[in-house]
Amino acid sequence: MTDLSRILWSSLMLLAATIPTGRAAEHQSLTIGTIQFPSTLNPNIEAMAAKSYVLGLALRPFTVYDADWKLICLLCTQLPSIENGLAAPVDLPDGKKGIDLTYTIRADASWGDGVPVTTADVLFTYKVGRDPKSAIENAELYRRIIGIDAHDDKTFTMHFDKLTFDYAAINDFIPLSAHIERDAFADPTQYRLRTHYNTDPANPGLYNGPYVLKEVSSGSHILLEPNPHWTGPPPHFRQITVRAIENTAALEANLLSGSVDMIAGEVGLPLDEALAFEKRHGTDYQVIYKPGLAYEHVDINLDRSALADRRVREALILGIDRAAITRSLFAGREPVADSFMNPLDAGYTDAVPHYGYDPARAQALLEEAGFHAAANGGRRNANGQELSFELMTTAGNRSRELVEQVLQSQWRKIGVEVKLKNEPARVLFGETLRHRRFDLAMYAWISSPENVPRSILRSDEIPSEANAFAGQNIAGFNNAEMDRLIDALEVELDRNKRNTLWAEAQRLYATELPSLPLYFRSDAFILPKWLTGLHPTGNQYPTTLWVTDWAASP
Amino acid sequence: MIRFTAARLVDMAAVLALMSFVIYVLIGLMPGDPIDLMRSADPHMTAADVARLKAVYGIDRPLFERYLDWVRATLGGDLGYSRLFGTPVVTALLPRLVNSLALMGASFALAFLCALGLGIAAARRPNSGLDAAINLFCFAGVSVPTFWLALILILVFAAQLGWFPAGGITTAGNADMADRLRHLVLPVATLMLANLGGYTRYVRAAMRDALAQDHIRTARAKGAGEARVVFHHALRTALVPVVTILALSFGGLVSGALVTETMFAYPGMGKLIFDAVMGNDYNLALAGLLLATATTLAANFAADLAYAWLDPRVSYR
Amino acid sequence: MKLPLALLAAVAAAAFLGPVVLHAAFGLGTDDIDLLNRMSGQSALHPLGTDELGRDVLLRLLEGGRISLVIGIAAAIAAAAIGTAIGLAAGYLGGWTDRVLMRITDGMIALPLLPLLIVLAALDLDKLGVPAALARSDDISLIRIVALAVLIGWTTAARLVRGAALVTRNRDFVRAARSLGAGVPHILWRHILPNVLGPLIVATTLSAGDVILLESVLSFLGLGVQPPLASWGSMLSNAQELVTSAPSLAVYPGLMIFLTVIAFNLLGDALQNRLDPIGRSIAG
Repeated sequence: MTDLSRILWSSLMLLAATIPTGRAAEHQSLTIGTIQFPSTLNPNIEAMAAKSYVLGLALRPFTVYDADWKLICLLCTQLPSIENGLAAPVDLPDGKKGIDLTYTIRADASWGDGVPVTTADVLFTYKVGRDPKSAIENAELYRRIIGIDAHDDKTFTMHFDKLTFDYAAINDFIPLSAHIERDAFADPTQYRLRTHYNTDPANPGLYNGPYVLKEVSSGSHILLEPNPHWTGPPPHFRQITVRAIENTAALEANLLSGSVDMIAGEVGLPLDEALAFEKRHGTDYQVIYKPGLAYEHVDINLDRSALADRRVREALILGIDRAAITRSLFAGREPVADSFMNPLDAGYTDAVPHYGYDPARAQALLEEAGFHAAANGGRRNANGQELSFELMTTAGNRSRELVEQVLQSQWRKIGVEVKLKNEPARVLFGETLRHRRFDLAMYAWISSPENVPRSILRSDEIPSEANAFAGQNIAGFNNAEMDRLIDALEVELDRNKRNTLWAEAQRLYATELPSLPLYFRSDAFILPKWLTGLHPTGNQYPTTLWVTDWAASP
Repeated sequence: MIRFTAARLVDMAAVLALMSFVIYVLIGLMPGDPIDLMRSADPHMTAADVARLKAVYGIDRPLFERYLDWVRATLGGDLGYSRLFGTPVVTALLPRLVNSLALMGASFALAFLCALGLGIAAARRPNSGLDAAINLFCFAGVSVPTFWLALILILVFAAQLGWFPAGGITTAGNADMADRLRHLVLPVATLMLANLGGYTRYVRAAMRDALAQDHIRTARAKGAGEARVVFHHALRTALVPVVTILALSFGGLVSGALVTETMFAYPGMGKLIFDAVMGNDYNLALAGLLLATATTLAANFAADLAYAWLDPRVSYR
Repeated sequence: MKLPLALLAAVAAAAFLGPVVLHAAFGLGTDDIDLLNRMSGQSALHPLGTDELGRDVLLRLLEGGRISLVIGIAAAIAAAAIGTAIGLAAGYLGGWTDRVLMRITDGMIALPLLPLLIVLAALDLDKLGVPAALARSDDISLIRIVALAVLIGWTTAARLVRGAALVTRNRDFVRAARSLGAGVPHILWRHILPNVLGPLIVATTLSAGDVILLESVLSFLGLGVQPPLASWGSMLSNAQELVTSAPSLAVYPGLMIFLTVIAFNLLGDALQNRLDPIGRSIAG
């Protein structure tokens, strides 16, 4: 052999030797595939679905909504309520009503380096959250807390400035590790650059959950191992790796090749791709579908003269066959929506106007509204105005592009001419919709359980010069009754009365149709056959918060 | 020569300065800051939060003011912090740069060497079966989009055969050289195959032109051996357009290959620059893009010098 | 020469005339969505099956071909023309012209395309004075793609042509022509240009195929041809997600791109032979 061929041969042998020959110890480790990599890891700065998914394994918030959409305590011992005396409404100096809530941190809660979780962490987190320069994202919660009193190492009372029905839910309050983060906060303006979650993410003292982060390879993967100081139910897996592959086809290929064991539903494949995958490989995996909080709909610009007429809006919804769309494109996995409220939500009601597929009635309504059939197949009214609109959605989103093409073709049949105009998300949301330069826009609202739709339906939230185009009521819905319902809902403590209000709000929405409800998007969880204990929640709290329930069946 | 180099260095500085301004403005012109977009995904964020965050990140100030601050800082050697990663720009950039140099360097070197071999072979036997076969191979190479090629390679070699990992840069918890090399094989193969077809076509066309010239006939008539004719006489002239194409690809060493990196989850400069630009991370985006620009400028400069060396008839006035 | 021309002509004819004929004869349209008949295989009515919305694949392929061919050819020729002009000026005239033009070229090569694309997508065309009818028409996205492809493409041609011009300009026959009093345009056209054709033709024919593929990547990112229009590139990009359930949807546009690339490149080879007979090339 010549030198060259010898070198080639040895390289080949070397490569071959590194190919793994056997499976690692039976399912002691789990590799999760996701579609996005979290570029920063501080829980309170820059919310990202991928980040809350990973942090769900390592960091506990005080309260969350579980898979039954009930509020539960994770880090605290008991939910404060007026009945058990831990919640006390107070009268505030300015005549408004506030509330004082007392929480107790679990006795066994401790950070990964052995230091227990104490009220010092709570007070530190509050300080960071209140500082306007600290880049904390959800400052709303911190603004509503007037002060916190620490009674001892584990018990504290929060003073809120407003009494809302969901008072006990402090889900956005995730305590930071004070003994480690304190020096990073020395200069609040530099906090987001000095936080140890970015500069030293593998420090176990930053995490108090069942796992701590061991290795972060930016752009590629995160490796987690069990927290040695975790005293809750022991987690099954000796090692969890979260891998990010930002292309869906490649993610599927990784699953097929065994590089990842499962695909996370919260940050994974879009539904139509999951369905296609299931058709082909479904017998080798468990595929679980769970409808979630993303409410897909078509917002209508109520300032357009043709669309201001309610009959036209009703005709639009009667002219589309939503049941057929979800049946054929989504295998029926995305339930048709009748209003903005998710069927799993406590306030949901079925007693709202239901619109089926009725093109005949749609055409009758359009005639009634004055739009008569024109020569070219469209419709025109007495002023010569054509019934023609632009439908916009986020460019590059395959499912939406398919749906909008179907909508276009169905509307054409009732004489409504629709042109498709898609834009990249940042252009659509950052510019076009904010300035209300649209006719019809298809996108999703993400809500949370019993989330009052103030910013999207209240009349003072219509984006305009006055509020610097910051509102989200882009339809321009101006309805005094809806305003009243929104205000009443926020403060109604009695569950039954609240449900009545919710029902009225949904009925009003479904009657007035400021937007056309389409369906609730589903998440698809693709799991290996041997994984048990994973229950999709359907809300924004990731399944990883319950990782101690996961196990590998032999 | 010194004057030529000095003048060129001045030019390069001017281009870098101008490009920094153009890129900064271009990113600033993109509608919708990521903070605005956060609102549509987060039901609890309010308009007040958006305004506050914009003030914290300093993006409520006029674009030109921010650009001047950036210039001042950069000239002082401070590349600043990456907004996307919350770390210094250099910390975010360096590992990705190393990854890209490995990936792109290996693929270009392999592609270029194979292209030389194939292109010369095809040019020496024009219109033969070999020529047709090589041509067909090239056409196949340039017709397949990179993401398809990547997907096929993953499906065949990772999913079906299991010979190589489907993606990533290392196995979690294991960072030795053998592991890194295994993870490099498929992405390098993808890029090499993607570029091979085009390079080969250029080499072939240039060699055909070169071999048809008078001084080749003269050399052959004088009895020069075939190898000397091809490699000494023809190749030198043929290399002029080939060097041009090579130089144009050089910028890619730093700017990476977005599609390949995404498909193989290989954290390189391509994905970094893309994410930085889309995330309005001015500091990181500018650092990456200007590095790529400097590399392109340097490569084209080297190409110009190479022309003069390869073909003595070239002179720069 | 005959084979590639015939091939191209056949593809073009099918792409431009096919849909018209099929519509007239059978009443078939490219927008006939049929949700009950998605991704079906071959049948009498649908010789190549249906796509993810039940539309006939053959029709979409032909319509898409029209768009892809128009984009590919327009962009390739425009980029080549601009690049050649700049390359000739820089290479032949040298001095400051060369410096300025080449630095502009370098800057263009380094310009990041994605923000440019997004800014172009966000531009309010009315403000720029584009007539409303054009701004709202379907063709505007085509024009955008061609504009972008030209912006990316001219730099390669410019560098190649300049390189060849540098080599040629000090040749004896060029010096002779100059001393005989020939003007610059004449020298460029009759003496320099024929000698830069080799690599230029390769670049142009390659770029036609490249542009079609660029459109595919743009569709991948959501910035290509917009639905319901189809192009081979967008069909290919859409089919990527269906690779496990309906792989044939990718094969057909891929095959068409392959055939078109072959045809363009063979055409280029033949052109090179015709216009550049032995002895007249770069140094000969």
